[in-house]
Amino acid sequence: MAKVALENVVKTYGPVTAVGDVSFTVQDGEFVALVGPSGCGKTTTLNLIAGLIPMSGGNIRIGDKLVNDLDPKDRDIAMVFQNYALYPNKTVAKNLAFPLQMRRLSKDEILRKVTETARVLDITHLLERKPRELSGGQQQRVALGRALVRDPRAFLMDEPLSNLDAKLRVQMRTELKRFHQDLKATIIYVTHDQLEAVTMADKMAVMNGGTLQQYDSPKNVFDHPVNTFVASFVGSPAMSLVPLRRVVDGDTVALAGNGWQMPLSPANARKALGAKSDKLILGARHSTIALHDTPHAGTVPGRVYTVEPTGDVTFVQVHVDGAIVIASLAPDVPVRSDTNVWLGFDQTRMHLFDGETQMALTQT
Amino acid sequence: MAVTSDPASGSLRRDDGLLRRIVAHRADYAYVLPALVVMMVVIAYPIWFTIDMSFYKTPASLQLRDRTFVGWKNYETILTAPAFWSVTLNTVIWTLASTFFAFLLGLGAALSLHREFAGRAVLRAILLIPYVISAVAASYLWKWLYHSDFGVIGALSVQWGFTDKPINFLDNIHTALPSLIVVNIWREFSFAMIMLMAGLQTVPEQLLRAAQVDGANAWQRFWHVTAPHLKGVSMVTVLLLMVANFNSFIVPYLMTGGGPAGASDIWITHIYQIAFGRQNWGLASAYSVILFIVMMCLGYFYVQALTRGDKGRPE
Repeated sequence: MAKVALENVVKTYGPVTAVGDVSFTVQDGEFVALVGPSGCGKTTTLNLIAGLIPMSGGNIRIGDKLVNDLDPKDRDIAMVFQNYALYPNKTVAKNLAFPLQMRRLSKDEILRKVTETARVLDITHLLERKPRELSGGQQQRVALGRALVRDPRAFLMDEPLSNLDAKLRVQMRTELKRFHQDLKATIIYVTHDQLEAVTMADKMAVMNGGTLQQYDSPKNVFDHPVNTFVASFVGSPAMSLVPLRRVVDGDTVALAGNGWQMPLSPANARKALGAKSDKLILGARHSTIALHDTPHAGTVPGRVYTVEPTGDVTFVQVHVDGAIVIASLAPDVPVRSDTNVWLGFDQTRMHLFDGETQMALTQT
Repeated sequence: MAVTSDPASGSLRRDDGLLRRIVAHRADYAYVLPALVVMMVVIAYPIWFTIDMSFYKTPASLQLRDRTFVGWKNYETILTAPAFWSVTLNTVIWTLASTFFAFLLGLGAALSLHREFAGRAVLRAILLIPYVISAVAASYLWKWLYHSDFGVIGALSVQWGFTDKPINFLDNIHTALPSLIVVNIWREFSFAMIMLMAGLQTVPEQLLRAAQVDGANAWQRFWHVTAPHLKGVSMVTVLLLMVANFNSFIVPYLMTGGGPAGASDIWITHIYQIAFGRQNWGLASAYSVILFIVMMCLGYFYVQALTRGDKGRPE
């Protein structure tokens, strides 16, 4: 296995920039998830690493080798595709053997490696079948096997679980994680499902509009999103974002909405003062918001929009100043739609973003 | 079973007579009756008429009431005539060579046109011209190209020093059939090209990428991914080309009429010559029946081969 480094990688299609100036390094044995909405450039980035499409600029290193001009076959990477991309006319055994045949390994060695891989992935009984005779989960294993069989320097996975049904996806997620732990494999994993990224990856690279927004551990991305995009993309349900105004009165700094003010703690006040203008965005995750049925000091008025019981927790969507704030409650707390509530934000765990730049405000 | 799930036939058993089953499903048969009648009139009746006529000697006056029953004599005449074997050989050469090269050329054209390049749409349109042009126009066009005195091909071969004097392509027993085959390939390769281009669109991009990552070069990607995907459409294309070539008439008839000395005579032109040149309808009918049987056999085996690989496929 090897590390993979991207330096200022750019891919343009005519006037359109698909990937703009992306840099990050995947350490040897690390599991990195590339996440972002559709069209954010994550799959393009993966294809650039694989060498399936030419770069417009920048450098890619695998191990210590600059691979910019190398063909995919010379980069020594393996890829797992969303729809498995198994060769339909070949049996499972032949599918597994294919990358080895292309590398001109001896028949004995091919047989040995295919047998070993099939044993590890528990697909020995499927070896003589054709892909169309397999279930989705089995096909996924074979696709993984075809990547695994040749012991590559890095695995590239393009939404490998998104064609599976929900139950199987969760199961395969666990297996993939286990597979990564056992193999100490370098894995770059593309997904639009932030939950997959958070649960499996050592680090996640959040992309939007072709640029890298944040590259950090899932915990840091979750706890310290760098901008409103990352804040709203990671976490389920998403972080609530409320555009508000900053009001400075002597020593006190407060957030102001329509007819209410929320004084900020000294730490948050310092953050708020760092904003370029008076426009601020308040960000809070559902678990950090308390709901009250009467006004308290520092609480914010809102009106319940919908109540969504999920069993072990009930999500309450509340209209605050034209924005929707999602709070969570224990399932036995009665709440009704169209009633007035007051929200208490945990000042130590709330986020402030600059309303102009959308960037997170940090203490300076 | 489908039959038992149909409430109208719930009381019917398998051992009921065919007639009773038809009566029980008379509404269904009524729906297909018009189509059946049309097929009877335009397909079944002519076939029957031809088979019937193949056992008669017909007079040159074409007064069919004067025809005389001769049994298998027409077939005997055909199978013992030396012309039959030379025509058959010509037909086989014509069909196989035309089909093979038209397919190969079409495949090459389809593969070249499958990637993006400037002027691709224009080139594709140009390559389609042979297919959309009328066969009669094409025949006359090529007749002029091949012409010994005014032909461009002859003139160029002299100018470039390949030959001393223009070759008379169509009036030479050695060059007539190959020259016709060239025209036929030119006419038919566009058809193979269209079919294969459609087939190429169905090759999944991800499979090609997977093969690329797995280390396959362009040729290996073609052999392991593209070619298996083209198998179905290739077989259909070859079948259609074979049938069309077996039944070719316009190009050979207009360009050489089967000549010189039968050198480019194939079955259909030969049959036409017997039927409408020598006015011997009985003999021509017998010829047609033989051709029909050969075609049916080929078709049967081909369809067998075509469907064999499809068993157990979910779609």
